[in-house]
Amino acid sequence: MTRPLLDIDDLYKSYGSEDVLEGVDLEMDRGDVTVLIGPSGSGKSTLLRCVNQLTDIDSGTVALDGTDVTRPEADVNELRKQVGMVFQDFNLFAHLTALGNVTLGPRKVLGMDADEARERGREHLEQVGLLDQADSYPAELSGGQQQRVGIARALAMDPELLLFDEPTSALDPELVGEVVDVMRDLADRGITMLVVSHEMGFARSAASDIVFLDDGEIVEHGPPEQLFETPEADRTREFLGRLQTEHEGTP
Amino acid sequence: MGSVVSVRPLTVGLALFWLWLSGRLANDFLLVGSVGVGRGEPFVPVAPFAAAADSAAALAASLGPVGEPVLWLAGGFEFAAEAIGYLPLLAGGIWTTVLLTTVSVCLGFALALPLSLLRVYGGRTARWAALSYTELIRGTPLLAQLFVLYFATSLTQVLRGVPGVGVGFVPAQAFWVAVISFSLNSAAYQSEYLRAAFDSVDSGQLTAARAVGLSKLEGIRYVVVPQGLRLALPSWTNELVYLVKYSSLASFITVQELFGRTSTLASETYQYTDLFVLAAVLYLALVVTASALMDRVESRTATVGVGHTRQ
Repeated sequence: MTRPLLDIDDLYKSYGSEDVLEGVDLEMDRGDVTVLIGPSGSGKSTLLRCVNQLTDIDSGTVALDGTDVTRPEADVNELRKQVGMVFQDFNLFAHLTALGNVTLGPRKVLGMDADEARERGREHLEQVGLLDQADSYPAELSGGQQQRVGIARALAMDPELLLFDEPTSALDPELVGEVVDVMRDLADRGITMLVVSHEMGFARSAASDIVFLDDGEIVEHGPPEQLFETPEADRTREFLGRLQTEHEGTP
Repeated sequence: MGSVVSVRPLTVGLALFWLWLSGRLANDFLLVGSVGVGRGEPFVPVAPFAAAADSAAALAASLGPVGEPVLWLAGGFEFAAEAIGYLPLLAGGIWTTVLLTTVSVCLGFALALPLSLLRVYGGRTARWAALSYTELIRGTPLLAQLFVLYFATSLTQVLRGVPGVGVGFVPAQAFWVAVISFSLNSAAYQSEYLRAAFDSVDSGQLTAARAVGLSKLEGIRYVVVPQGLRLALPSWTNELVYLVKYSSLASFITVQELFGRTSTLASETYQYTDLFVLAAVLYLALVVTASALMDRVESRTATVGVGHTRQ
């Protein structure tokens, strides 16, 4: 028996009097691609931020490869070396080129020397198809390109787990495809990914597991075909129905 | 791009000014009589200008009322003659002003950076302490701060005892009291500019830095500060320009910087108007140099997407 890469157990989190997560359990094995769906305010992003400790948890545990990362004495920087994150608003370092963005972590966190970091950084930019933009600043790149640099930046740390926080929500519709292609490629290469996204194309074709979160609880989870075609809970059905109408509603 | 370097009159003027000042100081302090002219003796003879002024005045007199413009010309020559005579005596004052301003602005920056970071990222106590300092300094007159340090503390005595102070090229204690006072003062203003700049760096930048695995301090150092400094540059230039002029207050505690030197000379010669007009021109040269330098720095460090980028 191998232990799960990520093991979230009975996780609670509230902001003031507002309960955001109410006892979430989630397990992921290496190579899993889990897509979190749910209405806005259901706690998806908070759950993601609890995994790499950008948000403190109230109770419960988050274990990465068997190590409880929520212990007070746990080193968050050590954890974040192993967990990469891709943001909705890209959050690329504005004063650095694409290559500079990709090499900052390896240089300053992993202590890699500048030449090696650049060489590996180029490889990661090539993986996301942006080697020709290595010397461009974020402001010179399109949203889709920025997000692909964001993915390369996370990959450069060689993480065990990649978190995606609505990676395509801030993009113009015609730019979504290039980012989804890169993500699908990572999924094919066996990278473990926890993705908050309503990008159904990606969820159907690349996810190994869909988790439906509502009101801070996991209502239902299962493989995409099961969850999308034969959802068990009423809330899931209702949400998927709404999602479908919205999608058909957009031109 | 790639065109012939354009030479602007301003650049030429500033180049001449700095060439003169460095030549003057080298002549007076390094060569001293061996080569070059004597200490305090002008490079350009005064006599031709004085003669030109006299003949222009005579010509104007003979022309009667029509000669008014010629009279202005005579006045110009007269001012030039005076200026050439006084400039060598002001060179040391200019140098002191330059030294006072640059040392104070650098020390002030070294103090302002941690102050501003405490304001933005510090805990409640640290924020409060940094804010109190800033408000105290910005809320009281610089001259009062200078007097308190000079007259009401034992700083002067302490500095006098420091070996090397006042020996050779090292200025005496009053200069250092002024440096300390201006640094403390400038730090408060600079920290305010820097705080505003750090505040305007998007919070997602630090979040992303932390997500990459950098500690908060490293994230601030490698991500927030490089962006914030670029944003702060234009207002920071203001502070430098102000300090060039505010440094004249040092004359009140006996520092013979440009303003002090001019006052002393004026009270000896009674040429108040000519001397202070000359001092104003010299201050202008220093200020324009400071802005031109900072302009350089700004365009050198400009990054697309960080602050305003000139197209």
